[in-house]
Amino acid sequence: MIVGKLKKIVPLTILVAGLLSGAAVFAADAIKIGVAGPHTGANAAFGEQFWKGAEAAAKDINDAGGINGSMIELVKADDACEPKQAVAVANRLVDNDKVVAVVGHFCSSSTIPASEIYAEANILEITPASTNPKVTDRDLKNVMRMCGRDDQQGTVAGDYIIDKLKATKVAIIHDKDTYGQGLADATKARLNEKDIKEVLYEGLTRGEKDFNALVTKIKAADAEVVYFGGLHTEAGALIRQLREQGSKAVFISGDGIVSEQLVTAAGGPQFVEGVRHTFGRDPLTIPDSKEVAEKIQANGYKPEGYTLYAYATTQAIAEALKNAKTTDGDKLADWLKANGANTVLGKKEWDEKGDIKVSDYTMYVWDKDGKYKMEE
Amino acid sequence: MFSKPNDPPMLTAFKDSSLVGMIALLIFSPISGIILNGYGFNTHPQTPIMLAFIVFIGRFAYQLAALTPWGQRLIQKFMLSKGKRGVYVASPGDQRYLWIILAILFIAGLVLPFYLSKYYLTVAILALIYVLLGLGLNIVVGLAGLLDLGFVAFYAVGAYTFALGSQYWGLGFWSAIPLAAAFAALLGGILGFPVLRMHGDYLAIVTLGFGEIIRLVLNNWMSFTGGPNGAKAAEPSLFGLEFTRTAKTDGHIPFHEFFGTTYSPNTKFIFIYLVVFLVACLMIFFFSRLRTMPMGRAWEALREDEIACRSLGMNHVTIKLSAFMMGAMTGGIGGVFFAAQQGGFVNPTSFTFFESALILAIVVLGGMGSVVGVVVAALVLTILPEMLRDFADYRVLIFGILMVFMMLWKPRGFLPIRRPYFTKEGQA
Amino acid sequence: MEFHILGQQLVNGLALGSIYGLIAVGYTMVYGIIGMINFAHGDVYMISAYITAICIAILSFFGISSAAFLIIITLIVTIVIVSLYGWSIERIAYKPLRNSPRLAPLISAIGVSLVLQNYVQVSQGAKTQAVPTILPGVFRFGTETDFFQITYIQVLLVVVSFASMALLTYIIQKTSLGRQCRAVQQDPKMAAILGINTDRIISTVFILGAAMAAIAGVLVTLNYGSFDFSVGFITGVKAFTAAVLGGIGSLPGAMLGGIILGMSESLFSGFVNTDYKDVFAFSLLVLVLIFRPSGLLGKPLVEKV
Repeated sequence: MIVGKLKKIVPLTILVAGLLSGAAVFAADAIKIGVAGPHTGANAAFGEQFWKGAEAAAKDINDAGGINGSMIELVKADDACEPKQAVAVANRLVDNDKVVAVVGHFCSSSTIPASEIYAEANILEITPASTNPKVTDRDLKNVMRMCGRDDQQGTVAGDYIIDKLKATKVAIIHDKDTYGQGLADATKARLNEKDIKEVLYEGLTRGEKDFNALVTKIKAADAEVVYFGGLHTEAGALIRQLREQGSKAVFISGDGIVSEQLVTAAGGPQFVEGVRHTFGRDPLTIPDSKEVAEKIQANGYKPEGYTLYAYATTQAIAEALKNAKTTDGDKLADWLKANGANTVLGKKEWDEKGDIKVSDYTMYVWDKDGKYKMEE
Repeated sequence: MFSKPNDPPMLTAFKDSSLVGMIALLIFSPISGIILNGYGFNTHPQTPIMLAFIVFIGRFAYQLAALTPWGQRLIQKFMLSKGKRGVYVASPGDQRYLWIILAILFIAGLVLPFYLSKYYLTVAILALIYVLLGLGLNIVVGLAGLLDLGFVAFYAVGAYTFALGSQYWGLGFWSAIPLAAAFAALLGGILGFPVLRMHGDYLAIVTLGFGEIIRLVLNNWMSFTGGPNGAKAAEPSLFGLEFTRTAKTDGHIPFHEFFGTTYSPNTKFIFIYLVVFLVACLMIFFFSRLRTMPMGRAWEALREDEIACRSLGMNHVTIKLSAFMMGAMTGGIGGVFFAAQQGGFVNPTSFTFFESALILAIVVLGGMGSVVGVVVAALVLTILPEMLRDFADYRVLIFGILMVFMMLWKPRGFLPIRRPYFTKEGQA
Repeated sequence: MEFHILGQQLVNGLALGSIYGLIAVGYTMVYGIIGMINFAHGDVYMISAYITAICIAILSFFGISSAAFLIIITLIVTIVIVSLYGWSIERIAYKPLRNSPRLAPLISAIGVSLVLQNYVQVSQGAKTQAVPTILPGVFRFGTETDFFQITYIQVLLVVVSFASMALLTYIIQKTSLGRQCRAVQQDPKMAAILGINTDRIISTVFILGAAMAAIAGVLVTLNYGSFDFSVGFITGVKAFTAAVLGGIGSLPGAMLGGIILGMSESLFSGFVNTDYKDVFAFSLLVLVLIFRPSGLLGKPLVEKV
């Protein structure tokens, strides 16, 4: 707690003293890697996951001798999930901080414009979390991702609804954002492909808390399954209001709700019981990642959601830098696409576009204690 | 509160500061001292005590300063700018060196991009875009006195005209500028019409509503605008030369290949900078001339007293509409540059209400109606948050504090409006 | 259309509308007295959500579990602290701008809004916070399958909103303080000449507005359970819309505007389309203002020559 306190006091003192320049002095041969995501604003929780994951990875790599003798130094970059800031911060990373690679961004709507900047500067960008297909569908060689694509995730969810739940009345709700709507549309496409027409397809507004009208509508449509594309804040409120109004529809969502905060947002574990979501294979089933996860946890941060993805992304970048012996973004990307990388999430391989070759999305289910585990 | 009239001044100051410190402690304690953790909490008593202590010291220093004569003078000076009301009239001497200064600034602005790194270049472009937006809103709010909280709508329309235009009809960068201007102006006219009857803050909320409606429609109309996935605009080009590594449009050649130089990602931004800089200069010139013309003076007259103007036979409908359309047009042009600066990708998240508030802050902080003031404020409010990046998580907090402080310091804006000075020909 | 669905949507709208109404009061009172849009008001409401959660957490820590006791203590503590916030904000950011151009305090309010949001984010973290369910239970009407319901919290919400509105109306209409408020609203200069301490009255108005936002914060937090540092913005904009719809400066107007806005959102969302509910709400506002330029219950603006 004392350390946490110091962390808060130090920037404040800097603030008061009015020192405008960064205080730390770095080794001359450090390799800089940017960690870009929302560190302020409504999605700051995800930025924190990125930072904690990347920080732990950088520390472990440095402790093991760094990249061919050079230490990794991370640069935090805040885009607040605003496209305007994403471009500014991308340029800052490229020009001022002279990073050789970027872990980020989080929101697809930030990743897309920022990746144009990295492409022009020929810098490798790997996003741990942006699942929108457009991120890699634009023929930018240096843009890759550590997570799957919305269409892969939607397929898994769609098949699950049809094959496992054998549901025919599906309500599809999204949050009208690049990620949420993309995911909802992917699932909808899969369902429609298999001749299931959704009973409801609507968008709610992010930041609002009252979805009662929508919930009543879902009930009126007699939906057996509610598929939601969006993040845990809205998902939590939606689940609670569904249950409060007595709906028993199965609630399914994607990787955007993977955070224990879903339980708090929903108002208690009794509400999230039976909620399902798609997510990559549980990293904690891999021995390596379990160890890493425990190490992060020991430092007082619960490695949830994208923490290990950011860890893995940093590892992949480090591996490419170590073996390709260049900082040329295209060449680094080529190397990764040719050789793959051993990460905390297991061996990862990429296709020509920069997408993960094997999508390992599976279905998770939440229990009555507010924990999620892979469904058998 | 608990000081007696015959206390020594030092003691009074101390007591007063303690009281203020105590209130601060009460205010800071729950939020920064008790941190929620699930349904439980952790206590961090040091933070609120430290914050309250800072407030106490600050207050005490202020009180002590007020006891010394030089401190009093300082405070007086700070307060002085507040009492002044009414409109200044520029004195004839003001104009003497103006042209030389302007020429130097203009040349400096032209040379600047070649010495900037790409990051500062993008920030500079953004700042210039906000200069354009500020100038546009300045007409509506500053000159015509119509409080518009939905200005971002025209900005969005400009950006989307370019993006959707190039997606569906192959619209290029250059043709998008006049088209976006015309389209935004048209929209300004359409939106302006129903709100003419409304006054002051009713107008504000209706324009806010329009701004939100436009954003929501852009977001929801998936099949046409691409919804939250955004839309992609064409690469800006100059006589068929593009500034990218490889040409994106058929028939275009990359700039560096044509001239046989090596590729630099800066070229594109230098190009955008130069165009937006020239357009901004043109607008500044246009608007400063406009103010001395009958149209501009009609706006100001209407702002000061609508009834008097109408009784003098001025047509308030055309005057207000012209202000709305002129402002919207400038906002639309700003949107085109924004789309170009964003690498062609536009998405409704860039056009939230906060953006309108920021533009309004530029106009008010600049000194309502003052063209130079708006330019200065736009530069300050866009460059400041970038400068504060070193504060990481405290960035926006500090920006907010500075915004309040700037307003308290200069309530009439950095450079309050000055009425142009007129003489008969041959005199003065 | 089935009756129970309509009934449920009306309940949804009423609950949502009462919240809008409570927060709208803060806007309407401040606007009435100094003619400024207090953009930070939504964030004052956000602060009250945090104070509520903190208060409940502390009380539960000491083993208090009686719902009535919890809610009453929380209400009192939140009202006191949030009123203090309202008062300090006015003193620091608006009072020095009393004689400045009309838009200066508006910008300063935007700054305050940023400060409050980020102060909370920096100290409490960006994650979603929540309170446990305190008062579970519902009233259900109808058959086993076709029913509409109103939760206890929703009942509490509507009752407390209307009660506090009634109390506030009483204060403004019948007490000496209220008369002073109205005097300052009508003519601040004349009120000052007649010996009314206008600064104190303005402070009081900010405190009253903040107190109403505090009540809203407690009720909303109990009702929806979760909140984060950015909830103030959307609710603030909606409440402001409600205030204008009802006629800014009018207390019953604020409540009426809130209810109409809540109802129209809920009905449009329930029977037409959720994507466009805000478009509908704003269009409704524009339409009302075109035909009644001073809102539903606002006094028509007298143009002085």
